[in-house]
Amino acid sequence: MLKINKLNTYYGESHILKDVSLSVGQGQVVIMLGPNGHGKSTLLKSICGLVEKIDGRILYDGQEIAGLPSEKIVNLGVTYIAENRELFPYMTVKENLKLGAYARSARASEKKNMAWVASLFPKLMQRHNQMASTMSGGEAKMLAIARGLMSDADLLCIDEPALGLQPSYRVEISKIIREISKQGKTVFIVEQNIPQLIEMADKIYIMEEGAISFEGKKEDALNNEQLREIFLGL
Amino acid sequence: MSLKRMVVILVGFYCLMGVMPLFFGGTDYIMNILIMILIWAVVASCWDVIMGFAGIFSFGQVAFYVVGAYASAILSVSLHVPPVYAILLAAVITGLFGVLVGLPCLKLAGPYVALVTFAVHMTLVPFLRGPMGRAIGSGGAQGILTVPPVSLFGMTFSSEHLVPFFYLTLFLTIICTIILVLVIKSYWGTAFLALKDSENFAASLGISAFKYKLMVFGLTSFITGLFGALYAHYVGMLSTRMLSMDVFTILMIMIVIGGIGKYPGVVVGAVITVTLNQFLAPMGMYRPLIMGAIVVVLVLFLRDGLVNPIIRLISSRQKAGRTGEYLS
Amino acid sequence: MFLEIVDVFISGLINGSVYALMAVGLTLVYGVTKAFNFAYGSFYNLGGYFAWLLLIPLTVVGGYYSVFFLAVPFFFIVGYLLEKVLIAPLRKYDDWEMKVMMLTLGLSLFMDFGYQSVFGPRIKSLPSIIDGTVEIGKVVLFQQDIVIFILSVSGMLCFGWVLNNTRTGMAVQAVAQNPAGAQIVGIPKDFIFAATFAISTIMVGFGGILLCQKNFVDPMGSTDIMIKAWVITAFGGMGSIRGSLYAAFILGMLEAFVGWYFGMIHVQIATLTLLLVTLAIRPQGLMGRE
Repeated sequence: MLKINKLNTYYGESHILKDVSLSVGQGQVVIMLGPNGHGKSTLLKSICGLVEKIDGRILYDGQEIAGLPSEKIVNLGVTYIAENRELFPYMTVKENLKLGAYARSARASEKKNMAWVASLFPKLMQRHNQMASTMSGGEAKMLAIARGLMSDADLLCIDEPALGLQPSYRVEISKIIREISKQGKTVFIVEQNIPQLIEMADKIYIMEEGAISFEGKKEDALNNEQLREIFLGL
Repeated sequence: MSLKRMVVILVGFYCLMGVMPLFFGGTDYIMNILIMILIWAVVASCWDVIMGFAGIFSFGQVAFYVVGAYASAILSVSLHVPPVYAILLAAVITGLFGVLVGLPCLKLAGPYVALVTFAVHMTLVPFLRGPMGRAIGSGGAQGILTVPPVSLFGMTFSSEHLVPFFYLTLFLTIICTIILVLVIKSYWGTAFLALKDSENFAASLGISAFKYKLMVFGLTSFITGLFGALYAHYVGMLSTRMLSMDVFTILMIMIVIGGIGKYPGVVVGAVITVTLNQFLAPMGMYRPLIMGAIVVVLVLFLRDGLVNPIIRLISSRQKAGRTGEYLS
Repeated sequence: MFLEIVDVFISGLINGSVYALMAVGLTLVYGVTKAFNFAYGSFYNLGGYFAWLLLIPLTVVGGYYSVFFLAVPFFFIVGYLLEKVLIAPLRKYDDWEMKVMMLTLGLSLFMDFGYQSVFGPRIKSLPSIIDGTVEIGKVVLFQQDIVIFILSVSGMLCFGWVLNNTRTGMAVQAVAQNPAGAQIVGIPKDFIFAATFAISTIMVGFGGILLCQKNFVDPMGSTDIMIKAWVITAFGGMGSIRGSLYAAFILGMLEAFVGWYFGMIHVQIATLTLLLVTLAIRPQGLMGRE
């Protein structure tokens, strides 16, 4: 589904991603672990066309998407759910969701997705007229995920879904991601550590200093003493 | 730019200017250009310090220049203050005026500052032409036609005696240039460059950033007013035409050619622009048209001005030249 | 005396309505693209010359109907190309805001003197959109004024409807509120930038067509309009459309009454004072968000 080959990314002078290659299969849940500031978010942003200078190949469904403008990538069915949410602060929950379905590819299934999102996030829908800027961190995170689902994307790139949230939200987010995965969506998550998430991972990558340092099944990661201690915190 | 290179360029430039009268002392046309280069070089440098280093989007530079000119002219014509004192007083008045304008607007976001300062510029025209201006002696639409020349130590400096006036201007120019270099290279200058890079850092400094900005704004207004006043006593007459947009544009071309925040590029920018403006003078109405087009093209295509890339090219050539010598 | 005040009031109302149309365009383009357009007033004059050219030398069929009909695509294309060719390339620089201001200031000089060299330095007058008067009691209204008022207010309402009820309108608001978020949901940011610039150009162009009937086409009048539009925008709160609307009418009234009571030469000084006082007390403007 997603295949990345020798991806290099730059922010101004600094070289962030170094020869990153990875693959995400159809319907899989893939988790990228690793310390903060080592390029995990940049990787997701590069996939979604949100980084200016990238070099290398990114194939989505066999089509080259590296260097395409973000709106084209969204149209192809790849969406980014930002760690810092990036909501529209002076719009209501409902308006945020509607804009989530802005992409041409999402318009036809807007109603269907709205109903799905409503069933996944009943609390959110109770306050559909609330302004996004007045929501708490956890609620805003939910809204960001919900907005991402509205894009009708098949590949969801989720950036640190549980960062800075209370434990209760972490559990809820894990549940929701399981639901999303059940719908046949492919999920690529960047995260620090959430045991519930790792439980459902089909594949785990670890990124250190802009390069992939580990690739394998969750069992391999869990059996590796060093990894367990450092990255999984188990 | 390093202090050493800055000083080398500036000393070289002013030495070159200093010997110019030896060759062109008899040619009034050229002497006039040279004097205008000196005056504009300082006015444009002040603007560069405000925009490029302090990061204040001020569009009031011409306004301060005109305030200085009118203040000195009114003091010497209406109140019979001797021109030397009038010029100094005018500079102080302009400095205070700068602080007055800076107080409400330096805390605002960039575009607001540009708007307010530009509005000050635009409002000076009806003010000086209208009854309020006439009441303080601006001469209304006609302007002030008889600004007395500067006399100092029994010598008269005016447009009749261009060489002495040139050296008086050069003297003041050098003093002000030293002050500006000190500002740029001091703690202020370094702090400002940091401020421009990070809004949060600026916010964390809070009130002190505002205080420094206000001080720089006052100081540059003072110097700008000083040269405006000097200009008033040089040409001997003033009108609100000084506030027309093409004067503003000339100043803008200087800073664009020199590169914003690339001092002393703007000094070279002044040389090029004043000369260019003289060449364009016969074009009449088309001159501002061309000037406007030049601004558009230069802003679009010059990232760091014209001067800085050339300096970089020369210094890389020098290095290449040295290795070349070695090889041969 | 009373009738005179009513007249001044009406003139303030008419001017205010056109100012509102122009200021709303300006606040929109600043809110969305963060580009500070110093050439805004020159597009007002472009509207005046556009109408003059079609109505007087070309005597176009249909008069003002054709002018309005042709103005929409004309100003859209002009604004769109301008953003793409002159503003968009500057965005890659760190100090692009400053560069945009300088560029547009140069552009306004170029345009203003361009008008002078093409059309001559003398002011041009446009024919009234409609002649005749309406009497309400003792007050005499020009039908022209009524039409200008109705057109600019309906133009604004129409614009407001598009902004709040269409997908593209919502996308424009989204870019204004969070450009990164807009990019994430697949809104083509660069297109929205250029389109917004184009729409604001249409609005100021229409302002020119409407108001130049009353105030003549003056090649040197553009900075005055630019300052007014910007003062209204800053006074109302940059990016706030409702704020601009109120501010436009307040400024229109202020201008009319100061001009009537103290003389036109004081209008600009009063405007500046209003701006300075507002910004000193409330830096974000009347209705701006902090």
